[in-house]
Amino acid sequence: MSEALNNLNSASGKRYWRSLDELADTPEFKEWLHREFPSGASEFTDDVSRRHFLKIMSASFALAGLGLAGAGCRRPEEKLEPFGQQPDASFVYGKSEYFATAMPTRTGAIPLVVRSYEGRPIKIEGNSLFPGNNGGTDRYAQASILNLYDPDRARNYKHDGKIVSREEALKALDDLSKKFSPNSGEGLAFLAESSTSPSRARLQKIIAQKFPKSKWFTYDAIDSDIHQRAATQAFGQPVKPIFHFDKAKVILSLDCDFIGDEDDCRNHIQKYIAGRKAKDGMSRLYQIESLFTLTGANADHRLRIPANQIVEVAKFLNSETATAAGSAQLSSDILKWVSTCAEDLKTNHGKVLIVAGQRQPIEIHLLAYELNLAFGAIGNTVTLIPAQANSSSDLELLNRTNVDTLVVLGGNPAYNLNSFPKPNAIVRFGYYEDETTEQSNWNFPAAHYLESWGDAKTSDGTLVPIQPLIQPLFGGISELEFLARIAGESQTNPHEIVRATFGNSDEDWKKFLFNGFHDFFDFQPVTGKVATNFVAAILTLPKISTSSAQSLEVIFYRDSKVDDGRYANNGWMQELPDPITRITWDNAVLISRKTASELNVANGDLVEISLNGKKVTGPIWIQPGMADYSLGLALGYGREKAGRVGTGVGFNAYKIFSGKYIETGATIRKTGETHVIATTQSHWSMEGRPQVREANLEEFQKNPTVAEEMHGKEPPIVAPLYPNPLDEAKKTALHQWGMAIDLTSCVGCNTCVVACQSENNIPIVGKDQVLRGREMHWIRIDRYYTSSPKTKDNPSWANPNADRNLSDPQQQFEQWIEDVQAVHEPMLCQQCEAAPCENVCPVNATVHDQEGLNVMAYNRCIGTRYCSNNCPYKVRRFNFLDYNKRPLSELKGPVYGSPILHKSDGKWKTDLVTWWKDREYSMRPEDEWDLIKLSKNPDVTVRMRGVMEKCTYCTQRIEEAKIAQKIKAGGTDNVRLTEAAGTIPKTACQQACPAGAIVFGDISDPNSTVVAWKDNPRNYAVLGDLLTKPRTTYLARIRNPNPKMPDYHAPYSTEEYENHLHGGKKVGEGIG
Amino acid sequence: MSAIFPKWTNWLPLWIVVILALVGGVVTAAVTIYFTQKYTRDGYQPVQPVPFSHKVHAGDLGLDCRYCHNMVDKTAYANIPAASTCMNCHNQVLKDDPRLAIVRASATNNTPIAWTQVHVTPDYVYFNHAVHVDRGISCVECHGRVDQMDEVREVKPLSMSFCLDCHRAPAKYVRPVDKVTDLGWTWSTNGVQAAHLQTVEGKKLVEHMRMESLQSCSACHR
Repeated sequence: MSEALNNLNSASGKRYWRSLDELADTPEFKEWLHREFPSGASEFTDDVSRRHFLKIMSASFALAGLGLAGAGCRRPEEKLEPFGQQPDASFVYGKSEYFATAMPTRTGAIPLVVRSYEGRPIKIEGNSLFPGNNGGTDRYAQASILNLYDPDRARNYKHDGKIVSREEALKALDDLSKKFSPNSGEGLAFLAESSTSPSRARLQKIIAQKFPKSKWFTYDAIDSDIHQRAATQAFGQPVKPIFHFDKAKVILSLDCDFIGDEDDCRNHIQKYIAGRKAKDGMSRLYQIESLFTLTGANADHRLRIPANQIVEVAKFLNSETATAAGSAQLSSDILKWVSTCAEDLKTNHGKVLIVAGQRQPIEIHLLAYELNLAFGAIGNTVTLIPAQANSSSDLELLNRTNVDTLVVLGGNPAYNLNSFPKPNAIVRFGYYEDETTEQSNWNFPAAHYLESWGDAKTSDGTLVPIQPLIQPLFGGISELEFLARIAGESQTNPHEIVRATFGNSDEDWKKFLFNGFHDFFDFQPVTGKVATNFVAAILTLPKISTSSAQSLEVIFYRDSKVDDGRYANNGWMQELPDPITRITWDNAVLISRKTASELNVANGDLVEISLNGKKVTGPIWIQPGMADYSLGLALGYGREKAGRVGTGVGFNAYKIFSGKYIETGATIRKTGETHVIATTQSHWSMEGRPQVREANLEEFQKNPTVAEEMHGKEPPIVAPLYPNPLDEAKKTALHQWGMAIDLTSCVGCNTCVVACQSENNIPIVGKDQVLRGREMHWIRIDRYYTSSPKTKDNPSWANPNADRNLSDPQQQFEQWIEDVQAVHEPMLCQQCEAAPCENVCPVNATVHDQEGLNVMAYNRCIGTRYCSNNCPYKVRRFNFLDYNKRPLSELKGPVYGSPILHKSDGKWKTDLVTWWKDREYSMRPEDEWDLIKLSKNPDVTVRMRGVMEKCTYCTQRIEEAKIAQKIKAGGTDNVRLTEAAGTIPKTACQQACPAGAIVFGDISDPNSTVVAWKDNPRNYAVLGDLLTKPRTTYLARIRNPNPKMPDYHAPYSTEEYENHLHGGKKVGEGIG
Repeated sequence: MSAIFPKWTNWLPLWIVVILALVGGVVTAAVTIYFTQKYTRDGYQPVQPVPFSHKVHAGDLGLDCRYCHNMVDKTAYANIPAASTCMNCHNQVLKDDPRLAIVRASATNNTPIAWTQVHVTPDYVYFNHAVHVDRGISCVECHGRVDQMDEVREVKPLSMSFCLDCHRAPAKYVRPVDKVTDLGWTWSTNGVQAAHLQTVEGKKLVEHMRMESLQSCSACHR
């Protein structure tokens, strides 16, 4: 300042100055004067200078002009290349083929039928031939096809980081086998993921015989084997439990998320829904948990207590059954809840099912088996089948063993195993080039399950084949061949290995492959008695101290999207909103409202969690319905070397994970930084509007039209300006399509969302775009929280001041979120007969067809987005950018490539020449581009930038079915698709749904299922009072709570509705 | 005071209007004539790698279209036959003809012959051959008299309006299903009577087969 003052003094002759700076004539001011625009505005501050940019631009345009003049206006010439030799006579161009196969999971397999189009696997469906299967899948199976086309797959055989030929690598395996033959495998150890493959078990046995001193360890970061281990311990023989949720009338789940994160959730959902819809009465689900899980959201009664206190409940229930003296200590509220629940269990003796969650310690599982025995469940709702005892999962032993060569079979131990040993040599068989690859001496690229022969057993013990649909894209090796070579087997062909394991006749083998399962059960259910001495010991265990703000409980759980990290590089999974939190592209530290306010943290605050001296930093997410003083950490994120999609997404909870899924004694510290979390639904409440209509079973039985009565007030009808063209067109149409979705069945598992993405070539957009609300899912699952109006005191919905839940930052601290109910509602284009979107399209790009579909002509759309603005359901999706052309590595932003400016080899470049020559290239690296083209469904247009898109009830499937019927009809008039003939197509969401919650069909056929559903009194149209006449309708959700329970209540949403929109009166009483 | 603007400038606005109208008219006319598929595609006749004559095979020898294009009534695509199909006859007929050298090589080595596509629909059009051919729409309606062409050329515009012409009035084009590949077939040898019969019989066929002749977007765009 003194300098400025000196300048001021020396300045002479100047009379007017605009600021002290000018007066003082500081260098900054000179600079400012010199510049016309503020810093940064006039320069292109990137690697490419403006001059360079213009040079290239002009050159490119000149070339482009030449191209125009030279090539003329003709379309580019296209070549048709037929076969030289006609292949198999059954091959028909353009016709899909379907193959039965299965996706192996940790403790079972999902029977599948995979569609292959001209040799490429395109879409995964469930095998509906499989006994007791409705053809549903789960989200992991749906997404697994994208892994096949993942550009970051391990593609090469590598030795010490250098690429070697396949032959060389296979020779190394033979050498390995020879090296350990003389010393019977001393120093050889295997670290394998669990598997149900009989062929692998056979090879494992061969290896054990050949190398008797070798060690085999099984390790899964997410341990689903505990059910079997506990059953084996409880019944004193190797058995595996099968839970029959369909046969149980009362289900008590002790922290068991069987609908969401447990293995085999597809099967569980299917059976659970069968029980809910059973003719002899709806089943009832009690859930005791700390995290808010999907199962909790679907439960009729949910008790929110810390995970480590659940053992007390189990102890109490056991003492109720009077097999041992109780030592349970529970507060009076919980006691009342649990004892009423116990009465319900007693009344339904023989028809109850008690399940313990896989993250709970084995004691709880043992207590659960004891309870099941006491309530007569064993043999009824729980059957036990003989099982193969799994090999040691005692990793302590692995660390103690002197290992020379460690063979890592799948998994990613360097990432998710904190005590990963460092032997002399690591031979790794893996699907990705990941964290473990870096530490391995030999790397063998694994073939995808759609590329390799194999076999597996489903959770109920049925043998299923895994048959390849395509040759390994990058020459990967199958697990069986890999093991056979180590074993030094003469037969290393995986097909022959599986065939040999299967045995039987060639006829049986063919049938096995065709059906996709072998319907021969070689076992009888086992019965037994729980060894009560275990139970007595557990019951006398001291009570675990409760957690507090200073000593928090941490729960590590399997993420519903990336699993244990294996789907981290799968863009569909990363962008899939979590079924409860709706978070995409991240994991978070889930915490209850009360705990958050005590610790003074809010959504997005980065906190450092310390547990047993280890630390990890992650963002806070306040989760309604969480138990107090518990932290929920999803595993599988924070990958350091996952690939272009998954690297660096979220934080790595494995850093503080030591193998126990529930731990206490954690503390958190605010770092002061924040992290932006992208959710697809920031508003939590329905505000009393009846989008989702619910009723308790009792209420519904008294008043079956309860859902209809929530229909809003319709506007007065004036004569329409012009008639709806559909009214005329539908007179001559063959079908009228419609859909019904049963909210009683929908559990919100997200499978339909991924199935739709796979079927309809829906791109992923990246976190930044999700934050802008630009996610592209055609079907989304809306999740609403509802709460008891006693805690949620909104006197009037119409009063804006009373509506305190306007935006996320406010609602996260509202008390009403403490004990919430959650409802899920799939939302997709409703195919309104009087569609508001159509009236506002200036170019008629969206119009009705004669069968009632609201269709989109992409090539006509000019992108005004009026339709989306006018859609009351917000189901239209706009391609703001060319998402299909954007490189995966640029998904995270902050700058996005375009043909004019894009990043290649780490530098921003402008390359109009390449772009002009081949407009498809230039932006994506070549490998990505080739693979993404392979993965697309050829029946659906890939949309470009500036185009609106939305669900059309899978119009490509409808047309395919119609054409097939017309070809069959030939010169006759038998062209109508009917349900009786089984020719009605299934939409992708319907086919994938494990709960069978979606029905699609012809509403002009009075015998169709969809008509029957729509005639159900529960049927209602969302926002039907807008007179949009949607073709998609919903069946109201029925809850089945126990009237005797202390938390018995009408569905909160119904009560909210009554308070806000229905004048405080009960539905059914009419409005004044 | 002299005029700043000479007198002729009074007519300038009128001239501008007239010239603009002329230019605009010419541009509009040029676009409507030259930017249509009728102009850009009609008569397109690329040179093919093999001098194959449809006239000889389909016309003079009377081979059915479906002998070679054997999947046309089963699937969306009218396949170009594999070289092995050619060799069914040509391993005896014209065995050593040099014009067939490429075909023989293709059949032996199982390498494709790169034919140039003549009839192209845009990628966003999902045209299905089978549903047309199996339901009484003849090849000739879109491809013309291929049996009279030595080298195939495009004779119909294959534009959206061309498709819609037929989809709006299928009775004018439909014929009995068994006459679909008989390209020269008409309802009668007498032209006037044939036209009359087409309207009468065509209408009957449309009703009998319950032809939808869809005109909504979803029929072709998915």
